[in-house]
Amino acid sequence: GSLNMEAPVAVERSNSWSEEVEEAYRFQLAGYRDAKEYYAVRGQECDRWPNNNYVKKLQKKDTPYFYYYNRARECPDKDVKNVKLYRYNP
Amino acid sequence: AGAFKERPAKPTAFRKFYDRGDFPIALEHDTKGNKIAWKVEIEKLDYHHYLPLFFDGLCETTHPYEFFARQGVHDMLEHGGSKILPVIPQLIIPIKNALNTRNHKVVCTTLKVLQHLVVSADVVGEALVPYYRQILPILNIFKNKNLNSGDGIDYSQQKRENLGDLIQETLEAFERHGGEDAFINIKYMVPTYESCMLN
Repeated sequence: GSLNMEAPVAVERSNSWSEEVEEAYRFQLAGYRDAKEYYAVRGQECDRWPNNNYVKKLQKKDTPYFYYYNRARECPDKDVKNVKLYRYNP
Repeated sequence: AGAFKERPAKPTAFRKFYDRGDFPIALEHDTKGNKIAWKVEIEKLDYHHYLPLFFDGLCETTHPYEFFARQGVHDMLEHGGSKILPVIPQLIIPIKNALNTRNHKVVCTTLKVLQHLVVSADVVGEALVPYYRQILPILNIFKNKNLNSGDGIDYSQQKRENLGDLIQETLEAFERHGGEDAFINIKYMVPTYESCMLN
């Protein structure tokens, strides 16, 4: 789109859960690639849990509504392989 | 006689509000990850109004009422912080009603909600102690009712739906988070309960 943001150069997937997978999973449920796209679209960082920095609340990409996320891991094992990990030029 | 028998639930206020579209939640067809899309930020909700209403919906067994009540309670507890404690007195009757349905799924869901409730914010566990008299009798009735599946596999264990185990976990959570008066008060209502803190 016309958003002033860097485009990813590659996308990877993982076979096992990690905090990086969890982070991407939370953004992708709400319709975003990742934190970079969220910032570009919404103009602000998202709310995060203070203890582990996991995403706490996101405004969805397609509607003005909100998704709330748990303190603990949410991404189930069966969904790990569907999570896209976007890579950018260093 | 009939202590374990399921009792039909009356129509809930939750259902009436839901059908009228009075909840600040969006009905999405592509709901992902069991999420509710909130139209209003949870932090801005009137907990005195909405939290008891969502708890009232715990009696529901049909979709979509059951899903929205369960997930609504979950989100409000997970993100409510200090707004939860003042509402505790208003939650007791809906909790009691849900347990009194004696419906297996409803009781399991309510027990998981109680476990979440006691860790949702500081001193919530202690604030529940005066209400044990209303909540615990039904737990006492079901406490030793573990499904005896003989040689078969008890699939309910995989989904954490074994009533006896869930009741034990819930009582332990009450004791852990209920402060110094918790154990004696649990023991009074559930005489077979033994402390999980002594060892």
